[in-house]
Amino acid sequence: MSIIQVERVVKDYITVVKKPGVRAALKSLLFPEKKTVRAVDDISFTIEPGEIVGYIGPNGAGKSTMIKMLSGILHPTSGHIRVCGISPQQNRKAVVQNLGVVFGQRTQLYWDLQLRESFELLRRIYRVDQKTFRENMEMLQAILGLEDFISRPVRQLSLGQRMRGDLAAAMLHSPSILFLDEPTIGLDAEAKHAIRNFIKEINKAKKVTVILTTHDLDDIEELCSRVIIVNRGKIVEDGPIGAIVNKLTPMRLLEIELKEFASVRPHPAAEIVRHDGLHVSYRFDKNQISASDLIADLSKQLPIRDLSVKDPTIEDAIREIYKEKELVSRGA
Amino acid sequence: MFSVLRHYGSVAACYLRLTFQQQLEYPLFLASWILMIPIQYFSGIYLLKVITDHFHHLNGWAFPDLMFIFGLGLLSHGLMVVFFINSWMIGRMVIDGTFDRLLLRPMNVFFQLIASYFNFIGFIDLIPGTIIFLYACSLVGFEWTLPNILKLVLILVGAVFIRAALFVMIGSIAFWTKKNAAVHHFTLVILERTTMYPLNLYPYLIQVLFTFVIPIGFISFYPASAFLDRDRFVLPFDLALLTPIIGFVFYYLSQLIFNWGLRKYESAGT
Repeated sequence: MSIIQVERVVKDYITVVKKPGVRAALKSLLFPEKKTVRAVDDISFTIEPGEIVGYIGPNGAGKSTMIKMLSGILHPTSGHIRVCGISPQQNRKAVVQNLGVVFGQRTQLYWDLQLRESFELLRRIYRVDQKTFRENMEMLQAILGLEDFISRPVRQLSLGQRMRGDLAAAMLHSPSILFLDEPTIGLDAEAKHAIRNFIKEINKAKKVTVILTTHDLDDIEELCSRVIIVNRGKIVEDGPIGAIVNKLTPMRLLEIELKEFASVRPHPAAEIVRHDGLHVSYRFDKNQISASDLIADLSKQLPIRDLSVKDPTIEDAIREIYKEKELVSRGA
Repeated sequence: MFSVLRHYGSVAACYLRLTFQQQLEYPLFLASWILMIPIQYFSGIYLLKVITDHFHHLNGWAFPDLMFIFGLGLLSHGLMVVFFINSWMIGRMVIDGTFDRLLLRPMNVFFQLIASYFNFIGFIDLIPGTIIFLYACSLVGFEWTLPNILKLVLILVGAVFIRAALFVMIGSIAFWTKKNAAVHHFTLVILERTTMYPLNLYPYLIQVLFTFVIPIGFISFYPASAFLDRDRFVLPFDLALLTPIIGFVFYYLSQLIFNWGLRKYESAGT
């Protein structure tokens, strides 16, 4: 059975339209002009136990809203959500008992106190018995290396240490689902590595289902077997990364270095995107012509010294979506 | 049922310990309050002394009576600050998003809000409160009999609940407006001016408002009137005992409003 089911979920926010100027402000005070903003627009998906899913999209795409609805903080305007078969809206306490949530920008740790004090509070809140608590702490310490700073006040921790503390805090009660909202934001390379490693470990060892939102595409490439890309409140893509990259960016780049100057002509199936001295770049659609055919054709005309074919990255794929967003909003 | 109580009790005890440690992290901050708060309230009572020295009484209230009201009001203020200080924080927590964290934990939201902070600064309020009240008691000849002591305890409990209910209601405004700082500050000022001075100094309409609409008068004015045998309104039963009853009713009302606001918060979002 799917561990998370989201069925035709819609979330509307009602905002008051603000216009510039004193007169408009007074008018808005007396007769507020209300506008409905659809943050989540008819979204459906299911997630199976043990999946790591990247939930990504540009700012304002409705990612945080979806995380808040899945964890019971917000109620959808319409549609149904089931987490472990339970509605977070009807039975919030039962759902959150089985949920770990980390907001990268906010901490749930006591700022002025030693890290271990926050853990003790959470142990009591989630009613974790001493034996399970000790086992979980041992496991978390081993993966996250908490022993260096567990006795220090949280305010003295580096951002990377604090984030490790927050991840441990979210996992103390052995939840089967973990929501991570931008867990690597603002971290250095080493801290990012530690956190990705942790996510992989708990997913493997405890079969924890993970949903993470992020703007860091390395997170996705390293962690997620599946991504859901949202834009303007709708799901744009849902599937394995490789397939999405292929579908969104079938274009490849062939970069050629010439032995000597030669007259460079376009190829019927590839356009020249750069021509700079001895360097020429062709862009082609791999569904129209294969790289080897293109190289064979070009090598008849050009004195080639060296060449390379560039695959698009997930970043290019995402940029395609963002570009689309700009076009749509400019058109509207 | 028992296991639920034990769960909540164990979490409350942990909150108590953590807030104690948290406040001890900044001893100089606590010390500055120990200096400031007694100055604030003793200067208030000194002003009353100056006024009554000149005019002998204030609308029929002599200095010892005024001191009795002032002290009684300050005691319930201090207790409210100790136990319910976080009702002042709802607006801030809604704006900065920390309120969401309460919804992510498998416990009652209001319990977490209130239990998560015991403010020891309230005990500092109780120092001038106790001194002023005890001194006033000796001046007015308050009789320390068992019924009187019981009444006093009931009044203090009721008064704390009236104050807490008021701040919970004000705080709940933030669920709709996202911002309640102005209303909150206004309420603080009104409470200080109406609970530490006799309510019947104010115009009739204000007395009606603070008796029947917002029952601030029951925090110190009516109980003090009853103790000092000075009640102007003739009501069929002891005014002093009305405070706990009104306290619990008003508090219950504040819970309804809080839960209503919480549902609004969940369905509207920020």
